[in-house]
Amino acid sequence: MIPLSWYLIFAAALFCTGLFGVLARKNAIAILIGIELMLNSVNINLLAFWRYLYAPDLSALTFVAIVLVAAAAETAVGLALIISVYRRRSTVVVDDISLMKG
Amino acid sequence: MDFLMGHLLSWILFLPTIAALVLLLLPDRPGLLRWYTLVASLLPFVLTLVAWANFQTGQPGFQLEEQATWYSAINASYHVGVDGISLPMVLLTTLLMPLAILASFSVKERIKTYMFLFLLLETGMLGVFLALDLMLFFVFWEIGLVPMYFLIAQWGSANRNYASLKFVLYTMGGSLGLLLAIQLIGVVSGTFDLPLLFERWPGLDSGTLLGLPVGTVKSIAFWAFVIAFAIKVPVWPFHTWLPDAHTEAPTAGSMILAGVLLKLGAYGFLRLVLPLYPVESHNFAGWLAALGAAAIIFGAWSAYGQTDFKRLVAYSSINHMGFVVLGIAAAAWVLGTQDAAIALNGAVLQMFNHGLSAAGMFFLVGVIYERTHTRDLTRYGGLFSLIPIYGGVLIFTAMGSLGLPGLGGFVSEFLVVRGAWPVFTLATALSMIGLFFTGAYILKALKMVLHGPLNEQWRGHLPEMNARELLVIAPLVVLMLVIGLWPAWLLDMINRAVVMFF
Amino acid sequence: MNTQTLLWLIPLPPLLAFALIILVTNRWKALSHSLAIGAAVLSWLASMVVFFSVVRVEGLSENPIVSSIPWMPTGADSWFRIGVTLDPLSAVTLFFVAWTVLTIFIYSVGYHNFGQPRGDHDVPGLPPEGATVKGKGAHRVPSVEPMYSRFFAFISLFAFAMYTLVVSDNLLTLYIGWEIMGLCSYLLIGFWYARKTARDAAVKAFLTTRVGDVFMLLGLVGLYKATGTLNYHAIFGNEELLHTLGTTASGVLGLSQAGLYGLLLFIGTVGKSAQFPLHVWLPDAMEGPTPVSAMIHAATMVSAGVYLSIRIFPLVSQSETALLVMSIIGAFTALFAATIAGAQNDIKRVLAYSTISQLGYMIAALGVGAYVAAAFHLVTHAFFKALLFLGSGSVIHGMEHGVLHTNEHLDPQDMWNMGGLRKKMPLTFWTFLIGGFALSGFPLVTAGFWSKDEILSGAFAGGHWVVFGTLALAALLTAFYTMRQITLTFLGQPRTKAAAHAHETPATMTLPLVVLAFFAVTAGWVGIPTYFPGIGGLINPWFEEFVGSMLPAHGEAAEAGHSLIPLATSLVVALGGLYLGWLAYSKVQAGQQDPIARAVPGVHRLLQNKYYIDELYQKIFVQPARWISETFSYRIVDRTIIDGVLHGIGRGGLGLGRFVRNQIDMPVWNRFLEWLSARIPALGRSLRPLQSGRVQQYMILAITVAVLVGVLFYYFFVLA
Repeated sequence: MIPLSWYLIFAAALFCTGLFGVLARKNAIAILIGIELMLNSVNINLLAFWRYLYAPDLSALTFVAIVLVAAAAETAVGLALIISVYRRRSTVVVDDISLMKG
Repeated sequence: MDFLMGHLLSWILFLPTIAALVLLLLPDRPGLLRWYTLVASLLPFVLTLVAWANFQTGQPGFQLEEQATWYSAINASYHVGVDGISLPMVLLTTLLMPLAILASFSVKERIKTYMFLFLLLETGMLGVFLALDLMLFFVFWEIGLVPMYFLIAQWGSANRNYASLKFVLYTMGGSLGLLLAIQLIGVVSGTFDLPLLFERWPGLDSGTLLGLPVGTVKSIAFWAFVIAFAIKVPVWPFHTWLPDAHTEAPTAGSMILAGVLLKLGAYGFLRLVLPLYPVESHNFAGWLAALGAAAIIFGAWSAYGQTDFKRLVAYSSINHMGFVVLGIAAAAWVLGTQDAAIALNGAVLQMFNHGLSAAGMFFLVGVIYERTHTRDLTRYGGLFSLIPIYGGVLIFTAMGSLGLPGLGGFVSEFLVVRGAWPVFTLATALSMIGLFFTGAYILKALKMVLHGPLNEQWRGHLPEMNARELLVIAPLVVLMLVIGLWPAWLLDMINRAVVMFF
Repeated sequence: MNTQTLLWLIPLPPLLAFALIILVTNRWKALSHSLAIGAAVLSWLASMVVFFSVVRVEGLSENPIVSSIPWMPTGADSWFRIGVTLDPLSAVTLFFVAWTVLTIFIYSVGYHNFGQPRGDHDVPGLPPEGATVKGKGAHRVPSVEPMYSRFFAFISLFAFAMYTLVVSDNLLTLYIGWEIMGLCSYLLIGFWYARKTARDAAVKAFLTTRVGDVFMLLGLVGLYKATGTLNYHAIFGNEELLHTLGTTASGVLGLSQAGLYGLLLFIGTVGKSAQFPLHVWLPDAMEGPTPVSAMIHAATMVSAGVYLSIRIFPLVSQSETALLVMSIIGAFTALFAATIAGAQNDIKRVLAYSTISQLGYMIAALGVGAYVAAAFHLVTHAFFKALLFLGSGSVIHGMEHGVLHTNEHLDPQDMWNMGGLRKKMPLTFWTFLIGGFALSGFPLVTAGFWSKDEILSGAFAGGHWVVFGTLALAALLTAFYTMRQITLTFLGQPRTKAAAHAHETPATMTLPLVVLAFFAVTAGWVGIPTYFPGIGGLINPWFEEFVGSMLPAHGEAAEAGHSLIPLATSLVVALGGLYLGWLAYSKVQAGQQDPIARAVPGVHRLLQNKYYIDELYQKIFVQPARWISETFSYRIVDRTIIDGVLHGIGRGGLGLGRFVRNQIDMPVWNRFLEWLSARIPALGRSLRPLQSGRVQQYMILAITVAVLVGVLFYYFFVLA
């Protein structure tokens, strides 16, 4: 059986990829994709821990379900915002959207 | 009906407040507001008559008492009641109130506020006379101040800001010491209830309080009381707020100020100072008598020196209230004797009589002021031929104020002088100077207003007193005469109360 | 109706009349005077019934008629009682008061020109100035008084007060009547109030008598305290009490209590009866209408002062000092006023000073212990002086008629404008002559002779030589100025056209003169002493017995006065004075100077100016009083000192506040806060770059901080 650490390393790598995407990309959609990657790496973590430590108790899987729902909702709202911003300003580059600048 | 009779004093006390609150909801129509307030102020008067009828003259202690929990933490309760000393004062207040309001029908500006303040003032004054709890007494004592301040400051004449401020500061200055002394008594005795305090506080004569001997503390507290009341009476030399306040106040305000508010101070002496501090009162009676005589003399002199009609009448109040103080001082010195009883009879009756005559005089000054817009005596002259009815009424009221035998003032002055003569012979003899000058200033006023060659300026511009004005002065005139001819109906009640209470 | 009830009722009709006239009938002249006179008649009737019911009662003074009710509570179970009483003194007083009041009421109708037309220019507050009668031969006649009803109201109130005073059984009700009379006197002197002189005279009268009244009040309370009552009979009928009062020291000026209270009460008399030094108001009081002068200032009110002194005589007589003071003041006043009277030109002023002088006589009589004589002179004087005043009013009235007729501008009261009026006004002349002779003490036929003679013999018998001499001299002067007055007014030829056209007055005025003249003669007959040569004992000396019984000692020093010296003296001074007066003035022509002024101008000027006492009082009393009131008490004490202190406190508070504001608040707190508030935006500015608006930068920052916090947490909490 594949040891737990492999899953964890994989999830960490995935998380870092997502984090990099969020911090480095200028395109808002790409940032959104990065966030999705981070959320899913968390899911992998959750599943891995469940499988190794708590199976067959299914109740722990509720976390995964909640994160999935939250991720979907977040993506929907995020995309809607991005579309709205695009319509108004014709861009999805976050550096151009700096109205909050002090 | 039972509810009414069972809480008669509370009804008398709070009806004006209730009426004042209802007044705020009424539409702003002058006629409605005036008549409503008049009727509202007549109700306490009617209830006072009921109380008078139900009062048992020969019975000791307080009657028609009501007691309810108020500040249980400090043992202060809502406790009201009357005896033969306070009931005449309540009658005086509830009688003068409708008259003052009737006299105010000529007020044109902000009638609603004006009437509201007047009704509130009535509760404040009645509360002082009815309260049988020190804390309650103090609360009402202060409540009366506020409406009066606004009445002077808003409806007064030219110098009203100075006058109203002086009035409030003076009185507040006195109240500070009073409040502290009341707290002291309450804390030491564990109650604010007056009948209980009459038993506990005077008997306290040994040990220490606040690190000082009891005697010293009590003397200080005594003077705190005395100064507060002396300012209100006012006793010379605490009197200079009075001429200003009276002169600047609107007519009805002066009527109430002289008629009732001054009595609060004298009532404080009778109700609180003498019973709570019999020993200190005895020790300091000489000082009080000297101040009373000074008030009589200097009040009369200063009145004689005026050329402002209203200021002259204002100073006459100092002169007359001096007799009240002299009577109280004499009684304090020999409390329990017949001389003391006579002096106190005189003092209480003098309060009542002065309420009538001073209110009448201020009203009459107001009547002439409304027509001529001047108070300067030198600008009148010979008005008798233009306004004979006014002249007759003025002479009558002035004679009442002068203490002409046959009118009320004489009976009380005679009693005071009779009571004070064996006690403070010199002060009494000196106060005769004041009595002489009383005649001088009254006649000066009559001479300059009514007599002498007519000042042609007023011919054709001076309407006679109207029916409303006559209605205001008539009860005062009748009462002055009735008390002068047959004082017993009132004096008997006072006398019995004085004999039993002191 | 029994006597007690009647006594209670006597004062009431005039009071009712007063109230009705003031409140109801003041517009209707006839109704008003009918009410007033009707009331006066009722009171008069009741007084007469009462008087004649007791006049023959033996021992009335020991058992007077009394009735009283509790009036004023004075402490536990003790009441002050007021009531009425009738003893010989009040009975005789009631008698003369009732008569004089009634006659004067009737006289007033004519005096105020009832039935005459309204004046052309008359206004309330000034005497009527005459009306023009239209029609053929338009001429001017006297016009009716514009304030006719008011006059009757006032005199009714006055009558009420006087009756109250007389029937009262105690000093307090006496004082009440006394003061109400003072008010009426004030109102009536100032009746023509629009005249400056009348107004000032009214105030002067009230205030001068008030000086006496305040002392009297002290006397009342002192006596009340010392005896526990103010009832006449309880005090003056109680010899033991009087003796105690007479022997207890009062601690004031070495007087006994009786002396102190007696003198204090006596000062009231000095004011009311216009004795020196409080006499100054009475001459000025002649500003009032003449009936007022007759009633108030001759017959009743000023007599009330003497009445009081007679009342309190048992008390005063306990103290030698008090008696001495009374006799000195009385005798001095009698002489002093008589000298002034001789130099006055106003017909009423002469009578005013004469009144002062005669009242002084009575006081002096009391001072020497001639109690009955004082009371006797009080009664006779009331009649003849009222007669003289009414007569002078009649003269003035007749003169005014002449003045209106001739349109001359002259003073109708100045005797130098008169002369020869006996032919024009015979009835007035004869009655005036009777009054004048009574005043001078014309022997045998007049009342004044008997009463004055009794006073002189009282002084003589008591060995009071100085008093005797002074009074005799005063009597001489009295006869002199009376004759001067009669001569100047009625005898000789008219000195002005107005006097030539003077006219006898209507019956309402002359009838009272006749009635009073009757009493001016007969009132003396009840007191003819038994030892009098010839006619002594023909008529029972009823007065002596009746009033004399009032004194506990019964009888007096004058009992021994059988000497004929005083009798001879009074004969000589009366006749001599009259002769001198006639001698000096019967030859006076129009435009001539007063013979005295010719002879001794300096003295005449001094007398005419009344020894400059008014001016002196003005300087030493009135002006200092004004100064004390206006400047000392008001400006200095009140405005400057007391208000100064208060304003000082106020300013002190204000200064303290200003100090806190200017020295602490403004420089320290305000500047610190201003600095602080200036720093805060700068701080904000320096932090501004952090807020780039770039989401990713925020995120980096957040993650960095989160990592940092994690590291620190790990470092401090987990590892530690």
